[in-house]
Amino acid sequence: MATKFLAHKNGDSVGVATNDISKNEEVEGVYMDNNQRTNVKAVDNIVLGHKIALKDIKKDEKVMEYGEPVGKATQDIKKGEHVHVHNIRTMRW
Amino acid sequence: MSTFMGYERENGRIGARNHVLIIPLDDLSNSVTQAVENNIYGTRAIPHPYGRLQFGRDLDLTFKTLAGMGKNPNIASAVVVGIEDQWTQEVADKIAETGKRVDAISIEGSGDIKTIEKASRVARDMVKEASGKTRKEFDVSNLVVSTKCGESDTTSGLASNPTVGVVFDRLVDEGATVIFGETSELTGAENYVARNCATPELKTKFQKIFDDYQADIIKEKADLLGSQPTKGNIKGGLSTIEEKAFGNIQKMGTRPIRGVLDYAEEPRAKGLNFMNTSSAAAEAVTLFSAAGAVVHLFTTGQGNIIGNPIEPVIKITANPKTYNSMKEHFDLDVSGLLNFEYDLKEAGNRLYNTMLKTASGTLTANEILKHYEFAITKLYISA
Repeated sequence: MATKFLAHKNGDSVGVATNDISKNEEVEGVYMDNNQRTNVKAVDNIVLGHKIALKDIKKDEKVMEYGEPVGKATQDIKKGEHVHVHNIRTMRW
Repeated sequence: MSTFMGYERENGRIGARNHVLIIPLDDLSNSVTQAVENNIYGTRAIPHPYGRLQFGRDLDLTFKTLAGMGKNPNIASAVVVGIEDQWTQEVADKIAETGKRVDAISIEGSGDIKTIEKASRVARDMVKEASGKTRKEFDVSNLVVSTKCGESDTTSGLASNPTVGVVFDRLVDEGATVIFGETSELTGAENYVARNCATPELKTKFQKIFDDYQADIIKEKADLLGSQPTKGNIKGGLSTIEEKAFGNIQKMGTRPIRGVLDYAEEPRAKGLNFMNTSSAAAEAVTLFSAAGAVVHLFTTGQGNIIGNPIEPVIKITANPKTYNSMKEHFDLDVSGLLNFEYDLKEAGNRLYNTMLKTASGTLTANEILKHYEFAITKLYISA
């Protein structure tokens, strides 16, 4: 299985693709804080630099990255889905 | 404990460079300082467009910046050249507080050519004297190191900024002084930064700086908030301003903030310091160097090529395309983090070692390419 994403902190709900990930591809990622590995089956195509959900995220739930909330889900997000402006938004305005 | 080879100054501060600085007090004096730089090996001029008819806080900051450059431990001695003698002498006197040699020379009554000769002769003697100084071994706790990022992309938040964070944590643990800034870029993570302030007083001070910045933006009717993240950021994968801000502040590491500094203010507390700065690269690095930082860690995604005349700027990227297409500008490539060739700890070790070598005399790409951007922060209009 190819290692294709990094997550900042154990417990984050998203990881960031370090290579393009294809739909239905089973990929491995590394948590940068403790080098622990985790796998996810991609539900969408996810290009380099974009985020993949590492667990199911409910609508209105906070999205965790860097161990901190970086936005809120605007709809239910399934593990393996592409996470971006179509399903999360800022909590600022 | 790590050590580096540095220059000890009269006030006990340790420098990583040994320049003789030729400082123009005002725009009219740029020509003389550049002529002296051209005449005399080992000197560096810092031309700029200001110093005339400024008033209040804005004038104070210009002179504080110029004096701060002269006071920086990377400077052995300095010549201040101004059109009038009074202000020229005042900036020279501030530099002299460090105990280093400084001469004030004014142009009025002599003209450029005689002034160039006079300043060149003084600078010639200063260089002779400075060149006799040798590097000695010092504990890394003597270092003041600053950081800033520019032309960021997703590789910055993911790899190069966390690499700086690892180095900052290590430097703090070893007793050094480190500074980050970029007030505007903290938007979205300002509460996290406030929470990391070591005392309630520091937190209040930080919050006032941040609120004042927000008020300025509103006053100018600029919509910096609604336009963040930018279209380019979104294309690259950034979804929210919070995500962008957290990517930026990975550079500060994880230690508590021990000092909250005004523009160009010298840090008094060891450990992590925040300085109020613009997020424009040249302005921010200039403010850090004027506050006494001797080495700078600069991360970039798309390839910002900033330098500084007196503070070596170590340029780091994790974007392999940027590294390969602009190699001459870089001191360290950490793209191996993204290929899983090594982990964050190893990337931190590589940057830490590059930093020690730079502090000990290895030239940075910006120095070799003569990228000497010097940009004074202007607070408002002149009279």
